[in-house]
Amino acid sequence: MEFLINIFIDGFFAAIAAIGFAVISNPPKKAIIASGVLAAIGHGFRYYLLHATDLDIATATFFSAMLIGILSFVFAKLIHCPNEVFTFPSLLPMIPGMYAYKMFLSFAKFIRCDDPDLYVSLVVDAFKNGLTAIFILIALVVGVSSPVLIFHKQSFMMTRILKPITK
Amino acid sequence: MERKESIHEMSDFLLDYAISLMGAGSHTARIVRNVVRIAEAGGYEAHLTIFQKNISMMIKEKSTGETLTGIRRIKPMALNFNIISELSALSWEAYDQPISLSVIRSKYDEIMSIPRLSRWVVLFLVACANASFCKLFGGDWIAMLLVFIGTLVAFFARQEMMKYHFNHFIVFISAAFISSIITAAGVIWSLGDTPQIALATSVLFLIPGVPLINSIMDILEGFVLAGMSRLINATILIICISIGLFFTMSILGINKL
Repeated sequence: MEFLINIFIDGFFAAIAAIGFAVISNPPKKAIIASGVLAAIGHGFRYYLLHATDLDIATATFFSAMLIGILSFVFAKLIHCPNEVFTFPSLLPMIPGMYAYKMFLSFAKFIRCDDPDLYVSLVVDAFKNGLTAIFILIALVVGVSSPVLIFHKQSFMMTRILKPITK
Repeated sequence: MERKESIHEMSDFLLDYAISLMGAGSHTARIVRNVVRIAEAGGYEAHLTIFQKNISMMIKEKSTGETLTGIRRIKPMALNFNIISELSALSWEAYDQPISLSVIRSKYDEIMSIPRLSRWVVLFLVACANASFCKLFGGDWIAMLLVFIGTLVAFFARQEMMKYHFNHFIVFISAAFISSIITAAGVIWSLGDTPQIALATSVLFLIPGVPLINSIMDILEGFVLAGMSRLINATILIICISIGLFFTMSILGINKL
């Protein structure tokens, strides 16, 4: 039960984060709400995967991005927007920003470091953070766009109001 | 779409359309798709090459075989998803209905003049977002409050600096510095239980998330050069963020994050 509440809390704050980071890129108003909902579902699902299963963070991110990608078709039909206008903002809470800048911080520390005992651990830190960042990023994009590859035809026509799915 | 316009007008419009989409932060495949769609509707064939700084396009009128090549520089613009959405809808409208280029042009001008969200709303929401991000990483209420204040000040500073067209890198370094030095108050006076998390999340609102996603999207879709240039640009911004954070850590002598 407590686990379930934690998932909801995680989803709730992810939604606020997604909405806040979304407004920087000025999306249509309907899309802001959609990205909040999708972010809550996606991030909550990732929280579940990370804590209830053995999956690592990149794989968990892949599956939750895929869930967002599948659900995005429903929302695109509802609000007539291109998918990326609300899926990209909903992915923003999962962007590995912290891993990315920690990599560069480790490099900066490595340059200033005089203690031979610390050298190796700093390089390992930088390498681990950098690799995690790039893997999460690729998992996000591949995950969110793999449903587009499966439903290839429908995906480009979401903004088309007049003749839905004819050509 | 009726065909009264000259090939010059068509080329002019398509290039304007393409650089607006690029500036608004669309991924490359969408730009190519939309431009080709509008060109097809008018009886033209369009081929594009897109790089970070320039777009070059050759269009060919199918009936007469007349061709025209144009290159235009991409103007730096703030990300604007509303424009992407509206311009994509416009391209389908042009494809599905017989409307002339001048009508499309006037609709395009209308779309481009839609005002953005109020900067104060954005400022408040970004601060809330970063505070809840702190919560996602396990920060407590005091850490969230620190991050909220730090983000509020730093994002305001960023908006002001952007207004006066400061160098992008300097904007990012100083915004990261301001935000982290304010939240570092928590570490110095050990406020709350998780001041380290507050410091670590205080700069995350600056991470260029949309360009990062776009870059991987472009690379996977085969626009490798365009994607790499986006990725490198985004990485430089992340390095700037680390520099800002590193200044704070060096000044205050904080070693662990």
